[in-house]
Amino acid sequence: MAKYEKILLKNMEQPGYTGSLKEYEQTGGYQAFRKVCEGMAPSDIIETVKLSGLRGRGGAGFPTGVKWSFIPKDHPGPKYLCCNADESEPGTFKDRQLMERDPHQVLEGMAITCYTIGAETAYIYIRGEFWLGAKVLDQAIAEAKKAGYLGSNVLGTGKTINIFVHRGAGAYICGEETALLESLEGKRGKPRFKPPFPATHGLYQKPTVVNNVETLANIPHILNKGAAWFAAIGAPPKGTGTRIFCLSGHIKRPGNYEVPMGVTFREMIYEIGGGMRSDKPLKAFIPGGASAPFLTPEHLDVKMDFESLAMAGSMLGSGGITVMEEGTSMVWAALRLMEFFYHESCGKCTPCREGSSWLVQTLQRISRREGRMSDLDLLLDLCKSIEGRTVCAFGEAEVSPIVSTMRHWRSEYEELIREAEAAHPVKQEIPVLSQI
Amino acid sequence: MSEHTTTGMVTVTIDDVTASVPKGTLVIEAARQLGVMIPHFCYHPKLAPDANCRMCLVEIEKMPRLQTSCSTQVTEGMVVRSSVPTVKQARKSVLDFILANHPLDCPVCDQGGRCDLQDFSHEYTASGTKFVELKRVFQKEYFSPVIETQMNRCVQCLRCVRYCDEVMDVRALAPAGRGTLTKIKSFGVHELDCEFCGGCVQICPVGAITSRLSMYEFRPWMLKRTESTCGYCGDGCQMTFQAKDNDLIEVNSTLGVGRNNGDLCSRGYFGYHANVHEDRLQSPMIRCDGELVEVPWEEALAVVAEKLTAIKSANGADAIGGLIASRCTNEDLYLFQKFMRVVIGTNQLDSSARYGHMNGIHALQRVQGTHRWSMSFDDLLSANAILTVGTNLTETNPITALKVKEAVKRRGAELITVEALEPAIGTISNIALLSTHHLPLAPDQFASGTIGLLKAVIQENLVDAELVAHAKDYIDAIKKQVDAISWTDIEARTGLTAEIFQDSAKVFTRAERAVILVGQGVLRSQGGYGMTLNLMDLLVLTGKLNRIGCGLAPLAEENNDQGSVEMGAVSELLPGGKDCRSREAQQSLEAAWGCSLPSGEEGTLMDMLGKAKRGILKAMIIVGENPIGSLPPDSGIEDAIGKLEFLVCQELFLTDTAKRADVIFPACSYAEKDGTFTSTEGHTQAVRKAIEPLGESRPDWEILSALSVMMDHPLEYESVKAIGKEMRDLMPGTRTLGPSPLPPRPCLDTLTQYLQEGYQDTLATRYCLPGMKATHTFVLNVGQSIFHSGKFSTRAKGLIQIQSQGVLSMHPEDAERLGLACGDGVCLENQLGQVKTTVKLSDRIPCGVLFFPEHFDQDIQRLFAVSVDNDTHVPYFKCAHVEVSKAS
Amino acid sequence: MTFYELAMGMKVTLRHLLHYRPITLQYPHEKRLLPENYRGMLALLRYDDGTEKCVGCDLCEAVCPSRVIRVISAEVPNEPIKRYAKEYDMDMTRCLFCGLCVQACPVDALGMTREYEWAVYNKRNLHLNKEQLLAIGDRSFPNREKRLEFQHPNVAFFNLPFPGQPLKESQTLT
Repeated sequence: MAKYEKILLKNMEQPGYTGSLKEYEQTGGYQAFRKVCEGMAPSDIIETVKLSGLRGRGGAGFPTGVKWSFIPKDHPGPKYLCCNADESEPGTFKDRQLMERDPHQVLEGMAITCYTIGAETAYIYIRGEFWLGAKVLDQAIAEAKKAGYLGSNVLGTGKTINIFVHRGAGAYICGEETALLESLEGKRGKPRFKPPFPATHGLYQKPTVVNNVETLANIPHILNKGAAWFAAIGAPPKGTGTRIFCLSGHIKRPGNYEVPMGVTFREMIYEIGGGMRSDKPLKAFIPGGASAPFLTPEHLDVKMDFESLAMAGSMLGSGGITVMEEGTSMVWAALRLMEFFYHESCGKCTPCREGSSWLVQTLQRISRREGRMSDLDLLLDLCKSIEGRTVCAFGEAEVSPIVSTMRHWRSEYEELIREAEAAHPVKQEIPVLSQI
Repeated sequence: MSEHTTTGMVTVTIDDVTASVPKGTLVIEAARQLGVMIPHFCYHPKLAPDANCRMCLVEIEKMPRLQTSCSTQVTEGMVVRSSVPTVKQARKSVLDFILANHPLDCPVCDQGGRCDLQDFSHEYTASGTKFVELKRVFQKEYFSPVIETQMNRCVQCLRCVRYCDEVMDVRALAPAGRGTLTKIKSFGVHELDCEFCGGCVQICPVGAITSRLSMYEFRPWMLKRTESTCGYCGDGCQMTFQAKDNDLIEVNSTLGVGRNNGDLCSRGYFGYHANVHEDRLQSPMIRCDGELVEVPWEEALAVVAEKLTAIKSANGADAIGGLIASRCTNEDLYLFQKFMRVVIGTNQLDSSARYGHMNGIHALQRVQGTHRWSMSFDDLLSANAILTVGTNLTETNPITALKVKEAVKRRGAELITVEALEPAIGTISNIALLSTHHLPLAPDQFASGTIGLLKAVIQENLVDAELVAHAKDYIDAIKKQVDAISWTDIEARTGLTAEIFQDSAKVFTRAERAVILVGQGVLRSQGGYGMTLNLMDLLVLTGKLNRIGCGLAPLAEENNDQGSVEMGAVSELLPGGKDCRSREAQQSLEAAWGCSLPSGEEGTLMDMLGKAKRGILKAMIIVGENPIGSLPPDSGIEDAIGKLEFLVCQELFLTDTAKRADVIFPACSYAEKDGTFTSTEGHTQAVRKAIEPLGESRPDWEILSALSVMMDHPLEYESVKAIGKEMRDLMPGTRTLGPSPLPPRPCLDTLTQYLQEGYQDTLATRYCLPGMKATHTFVLNVGQSIFHSGKFSTRAKGLIQIQSQGVLSMHPEDAERLGLACGDGVCLENQLGQVKTTVKLSDRIPCGVLFFPEHFDQDIQRLFAVSVDNDTHVPYFKCAHVEVSKAS
Repeated sequence: MTFYELAMGMKVTLRHLLHYRPITLQYPHEKRLLPENYRGMLALLRYDDGTEKCVGCDLCEAVCPSRVIRVISAEVPNEPIKRYAKEYDMDMTRCLFCGLCVQACPVDALGMTREYEWAVYNKRNLHLNKEQLLAIGDRSFPNREKRLEFQHPNVAFFNLPFPGQPLKESQTLT
């Protein structure tokens, strides 16, 4: 277990660590922020983060330093930082631990980011269900304010940094950055079409940076130990640093594990995760949260970094690895995820709104053993019509379970349909409207 | 408009057609300009792009995936393809998705036949669908009186929601629910309660939101379209009557047509039924033994001609007076005044513009020598600062209000509102919420507000430097007046501190282009003429009077108030707005008409009533106006009408006045005749005949023309066009349809004259603060409601369904103090009488003010005293001080 | 040769002389057998519960080449936003019996009966109103269809869900 050095989870794994300001300071907390406040130029900070190769931990993996550099420097009026803590991807639970167990690490990252981009106000948009996280953060913010890390005139620099916690109301789509901004503005959480991007027209149409919790938590460490140190960890040049992976499913030791980028799935599942739950062979795994396409055992030796996974036809996403053992029905697995996406589709754009209900109803029919062979082509057709035609990335996400299970396990679908055809040979042809 | 021209053009190729379009144009717009129709649901030129329907996907070179053309701006050298197979397949798939849950009820849907979804389905999808699951069904929760939603048909383009928010600023609609179960809802589990502008009905691309009024009575292909002008308020909206079998079915408006540019208000959209109400008079009537009996036209005309001739020869021409409603067309108004001046030979004539609009006209004539605005409607959009005084804009002139909203929300104009309005969020929009400086006043204290602004201008040295150089006396005179008034006095009356006046004055002065909108609250209340002159002083002092795009705009309440002034249908003005005492004007008119003009004294409405009471005026011809309904009993109107020897009415309905008439001619409504209306800004627009006249009713001009023939002074015209030609010859530029004329520039001679001595005579009377009400009393104000206009609209079944009766509005704090709840009976009392009514709580109106819609309940009129303006003879009767108690 | 030709020529005459089978029908005592797709008098139909099928969509009026049909549609009294034909008139003097209206009808509310004995003394009697047309339908089409809403779930809201209709399964789908 101690094979890899931990960065983010290091503190909280010390016995008795409560995450209070005092304890955080003892472990070297807020040193990076002090260093920054002593007069580091924002452009230097951005340069450091760029050099470190840190990429967004929320799912898309956009280089953080580059994102920051998009913020117009001489913009009059306010700029904002939003911490995306609406961790609602099924199978992902890393941000929750970071916020609940070591809140100051996140706050320090946010404070540095605010300093860098020139934002006076930052929001943490936390998922509605994380009531404990919201409480812990609120306390931590109060502590940090008292200690002068936040509030007006932080650490005597004359700058103001205020952080507010905003609890969501439980919509998956609010994890999408523009929908998050809409929700934060008090509107219905629906994605905006891009461009313009949040970097220029974000919260209240002001320049805004939206970063994931884990991304922000990495910032203090990069500034403390230098970009070169961070860039050497993991799988440089494209996948630097460590990553917290959330193991779940049919596995012996589910939980959060911080490992450097570029570890193989085989090592992750069989060594770190302790192998399959009932020692049955592995059938499938989702490498990066519910919206990442399924992978098969032949992909076990793929390295866990952005590029390798993209080449394998999936994505690193939010780092939630869900493992499925032999005997799991892949139709059921796809349906289960599809039902989630159907429930969470916001209804803004047509393909996703109507497509998700169509897909889920067709899948339900197949799993009820009332399907037909033509349904399979219909499913793929629908997926093709949804993919790439929606306002946000939700469209791609919602078709991925069907497309990937269909690619690897089409026979399971066919088997269910053959059973249906055998059981109901007459009812096989469901009346079509034009025939009535 | 100017954004594009300054930043240049870009070249774009769409479906192999290359053209240059202004930079910043959306691809869908550019395609339309090149003649390529890209199908869409959610895109609308009036709304910000939302890109949610995904119907307008096109292929753009060098861009990954298909792009939505409604949200992509063209760039130099862009190559767009909208008819390649991938694009067609994408459209087909989007339609498949939409049709999956869309019910197959086109045959019973009112949109069937003009539905975007139907059209695109015909174009892109084969019949039949692969969707075999159960369709989603929404059950109805309630049925609305005028706007019906059928959510099963909705395509979720959110045009209605966005229109309601972005254009109307009402926000009555919102999407509720997620995914495919999203539906458009109004707030709460009750029927829609909003401004009922009908915008959502018009903007819905499918049949999800339809009008309940004509539901299922038509199919679109049966309708006969007639472009016409709305006959309710002075905004002069262009609209389309849709008629079927001589019955009005619905009203639409067209994007890009007229000042309203596709928008209408509830009166325009739901008020058309008033024209074809079953109570319409359909044949002439004469009084026989005290009863009105129907007679043929010949008989009725002969009786009137004979009687009028007899009165004229016995008592002189000045024993006959005429009154016309400003709802008539310009041609009617012109012929009416010509009839009175030539056939009868009297100057005793007036129109309903006298009720208030004349104040604005006189003020404009006095200071800038024009009888029109010196700015145009479009200048509202380019204004940097807009000052509204006593307009209650949303309710009286809804389309002007839309322009103000657009100026503020889209173009960043600063809005100063001096209104009897509180910035409360409600079911109808509130411009006080948009204003940068809001000065809430009681309706009887607008004079204090304007004086406050003037005092701030003088005190803060905001006076135009050029004016200081050449009109020092004028400035000193005003300074002397305002110095005599202390801030404490103003604060006591308005409840506002000097700072807010000073801030507002600074904003107003700073603006490059500043516009003052003056509404009924000023024009129709005590001292309206003085207040309007004071506001002109504000323009003069800040040096804006003569600047392009600046000006003072009195807003007309009736659709053709401006027309009746320009047609000379008021006693002191000749056609063309010329002074009737000017010898020059008289001579040119006499030359044109070939007869001499009457030399008798002028008689305005109130003069005529006074003379009638004294028995000097023997007969009256009243065209479309109902003075008994409009004037309170205190004016002695019933007495005056009762003493008349002979009363002729040309009316649509048997109004209170018509009931007293000796002869009634049935006139036809503006939907049944041709003609023109002149909007408040002075734009003449066509009124066209949508249906044949009901029964035996005839246009007013035809009746007057027939009467003139029988009285041996034939004024014969073959059609309205012939009258129009005469008008055009007499007043060049009048009745020229087409784009609105350029606004007149202020006449510098008049201005110089005003600055030298013209201002002096009224100075003392207009620069004094109005009296204060006793603390325990309330200011009772009658005025216009957003859903009605005059008494005419109360005949429209749609509007009656929205608002069927008048209820007294009171601020909740006042009500709490008096122990009143919504729906309680209250007793209003002052020295003139006592009236019982019911109360409604509204936080829109300020504390200490009561509001009652003027369209209903004559009874409340008893509380109002009438006073007449010395200069303009306008009767004031809109405000009264009353005590309120709970009715037992 | 000549005789042969004569015989052949007379063959038909002689055959009919011996086997007498008259072509002329003794109408009205005898009646013709009508073909399957005979297009006779038009009629309005009802559902099995007695409600009118016609939804007043005006499509028959639109399609009619000789302007026989006049429909005045309205909302069903006491059943908000449900459409029906308040008045339905046919001027049968002009009808060509082309059957386009039957084809156009989206709810199969119109039918062509096999009635043809419609000679009248007064032409006005051929101006049929809705009640008369329904009566023709009642006597000519005794077998009535099930109400459209019950035929298939996906055409159920052709007109509108009627009061008391149970919620669809898809509404509770989550």
